[in-house]
Amino acid sequence: MSLEKNIQNEKEVNKLDLRGKVCPMTFVNTKLSLEKLKSGEFLEVLLDFPPAVENVPENCRRQNLAKVVRITPIKQNKSYWELIFEKI
Amino acid sequence: MELSEKQIERYSRQIVLKEIGGMGQKKLMKSTLTIIGLGGLGSPAAYYLAAAGIGKLKLVDFDYVELSNLQRQILHFSEDINKRKTISALEKLNSLNLDCSIEIINKKVSIDNIREIIQNSDFVIEGSDNFATKMLVNDACVYLKIPFTIAGAIRYHGQLLTVVPEKRTTCYRCVFGTIKNLDDRMSCSQAGVIGVIPGILGSIEANEAIKYLLEIGDLITNKMLFVDLLKNNFSFINVYREINCIICGENPKDFTEIKRYGSDIACH
Repeated sequence: MSLEKNIQNEKEVNKLDLRGKVCPMTFVNTKLSLEKLKSGEFLEVLLDFPPAVENVPENCRRQNLAKVVRITPIKQNKSYWELIFEKI
Repeated sequence: MELSEKQIERYSRQIVLKEIGGMGQKKLMKSTLTIIGLGGLGSPAAYYLAAAGIGKLKLVDFDYVELSNLQRQILHFSEDINKRKTISALEKLNSLNLDCSIEIINKKVSIDNIREIIQNSDFVIEGSDNFATKMLVNDACVYLKIPFTIAGAIRYHGQLLTVVPEKRTTCYRCVFGTIKNLDDRMSCSQAGVIGVIPGILGSIEANEAIKYLLEIGDLITNKMLFVDLLKNNFSFINVYREINCIICGENPKDFTEIKRYGSDIACH
């Protein structure tokens, strides 16, 4: 299933809101959610702790957990990032 | 079983590890370990295992806390003098982590009770202070096919061997079975022991248990670890299975039928 098709169907994307969390809990929670997914499934993670935007994808790569499909900065009154991971 | 928010935070530094994660953590939380001896070796082992979230620890010791124990037996504090070591340990470990359920056994391990004590354990940590108990634990664990780790520490020296009976690794008796007249009275009280050495060896015992439970890394099997803290020497010596070993060899005996030797005098 392609990402865009999957993203269109909101219910099929697993979501994790980690805004307010800092490292290492950002990665710990991402990892625990990814562990529950099957290979090829997607996980959307919201982060507002700037170092985590680099660290979480880097650790997912090192541990061969997931690849980053997309990182989107969201500018609102409180900005954050939306990361899409694909479980390996 | 789902991890609670508190558990995720408590174990976060090990869940982060590639080899552990949430699945490894849950495995630890479903495991039962027995720790024989709550002294210099058993204290750090019990502490780290309870801290890591092992599901159940069975703590075995018949002794009471003495002033001279406190130099190295880190589970026991000054106010615990004359208290049972099991009770002292239970109090500390409950205070550390209530996720870990503790069963205390106030018994001296013997040929009559060891089966009952170690039965249903996923792994056994041997931390007694005498050779006779170490050999008994070896024989019973090999016979009942329970994996275990044995350590010893004296002066500035320590040694450690892990045995996985199912994999037929070298057992403690293969290495030391020919020693017939070891005088236990020369154990730590008279020989002396620097507090750090059982601390290090007991910590490695805990690490061996965790690695075994999670099936990660390499165990200290078929080789012995020797540590000399005076000369800063950490070395491994290969040890080999003895085909005539009376407990793990080609014609093994029932562990209850093996003639026991060595002093029964406990080290204080």
